[in-house]
Amino acid sequence: MSQPTHDEVYNKICELLVPYNPKGIAISHQSGIMTDLEVDSTAVFDLIMGLEDFYDISIPMEMVSDIKTVGELVNAVMQLTSE
Amino acid sequence: MDIFDKFSALKTRTDLVEKLGVDPFGVKFDTILNATRGLIGNQEIILAGTNNYLGLTFDPDCIEASVNALKKHGTGTTGSRIANGSYEEHVDLENALAKHTGMESAVIFSTGYQTNLAAIATLAGPKDVLFIDADSHACIIDGCRLSAAPTIRFRHNSPSDLEKRLIRQGEIEGGIALVVIEGMYSMFGDKAPIKEFVEVCERHGAYLYIDEAHSFGIFGPTGCGLAEEEGVLDRVDFISGTFSKSLASIGGFCLSRHKAFEVTRKAMRAYMFTASPTPSNVAAARAALDKIAEKPELRKNLKERSEQLHAGLLALGLELCAPPGPIIAVRRPNELIAATEWNWLMENGIYVNLAVPPGTPQSSSLLRISLSAAHTKEDIDLILAGFSQLSQLGDAMTARAQEVLAAQ
Repeated sequence: MSQPTHDEVYNKICELLVPYNPKGIAISHQSGIMTDLEVDSTAVFDLIMGLEDFYDISIPMEMVSDIKTVGELVNAVMQLTSE
Repeated sequence: MDIFDKFSALKTRTDLVEKLGVDPFGVKFDTILNATRGLIGNQEIILAGTNNYLGLTFDPDCIEASVNALKKHGTGTTGSRIANGSYEEHVDLENALAKHTGMESAVIFSTGYQTNLAAIATLAGPKDVLFIDADSHACIIDGCRLSAAPTIRFRHNSPSDLEKRLIRQGEIEGGIALVVIEGMYSMFGDKAPIKEFVEVCERHGAYLYIDEAHSFGIFGPTGCGLAEEEGVLDRVDFISGTFSKSLASIGGFCLSRHKAFEVTRKAMRAYMFTASPTPSNVAAARAALDKIAEKPELRKNLKERSEQLHAGLLALGLELCAPPGPIIAVRRPNELIAATEWNWLMENGIYVNLAVPPGTPQSSSLLRISLSAAHTKEDIDLILAGFSQLSQLGDAMTARAQEVLAAQ
């Protein structure tokens, strides 16, 4: 897969977040995944595994711990897909 | 800013659950009468949530061995084995565990939690990569955090997903891959497809570590666990377990088919820098290991009681999370209803576990039952009668839960 754009990654994350966001809370780059979007820690890892499979990357657990917002998750995916 | 502000969400949740009656996470038994009965005040409670799978905590031989060790060596070890020396019970149990399982090396620890924490954090170094099941127990996750190794999760009980991630990782320069799974998962009671995991690990040259905390003593022809049951025990690199379930005590063990594992005693911080388990605890586990070897009827009874309860709960129309086994988890619609029902069961003399997110897979709310070989057929009938009555109270339970919520 060629290097995705920032918007493509953001849109993909928003798409993968749908099942974990039953209240339909508005998503932005600044949205806290666990705080604003109320995604619990188990579901965060499901989301991460979905992204890993889509982009064929590995996002190690210790990196996930530092990701708090949607924007930070986009940046992590951008970094890993460029390596 | 108050130091406890960061716990405010937890406090709100705890307060809500406490309004339903007894705090499910702070139950106090006044007396434990035997492996299946306890007293709270004057009320006798049937214990169906204590992980006392073989019911050996009141076995006369286990008690005698423990008391003898207590009288011989005193109440505490007052230090670590590295700094303050080992007792004969420590070494004897390690030798017995290695012999019983056919492993080359055995190390015992003060708790099951410390076992995985110490072993995983030490076995995986900064150049290695850890691969762990998505539903791993907290002690495995904490062990990974303490190690300097990157940690990758794979989908629960999926050898093919693990294989995909091992391939994705590719060659690990200067390091190894260590895969960590559990034999039986503590919340749902579902079993890992161990043979398939062994094959994936062998194909990719990865080491395999299996936590058999909930399966040691319960499965396999000689009670060594699920790896033995699947006929692959000799192909597993590391097996860990606990004394606090089938071994009727407190402590833990890690076994390896590699003799070189011995050297890690001088590297595992949670082994080196903590007090060793008391001789009396270790002697009880040692006596329980003999029972595991000598009394296959314990496993047989546990299996029969599990099948009886599983069939009975299914007949009540309840949703169960796994096939029959020593852990039977009943899925409930949400946390509040589960907590309300848990309280009703306690009021009616049945102790099970309440398990709620985030500690549960798929964010499930569960009434989790753990069975014992000491349970009788009549005990299971009692538990079933409780769940049957509870099922008939469906709307009343929901109303009680809503009442509490409305009072917030």
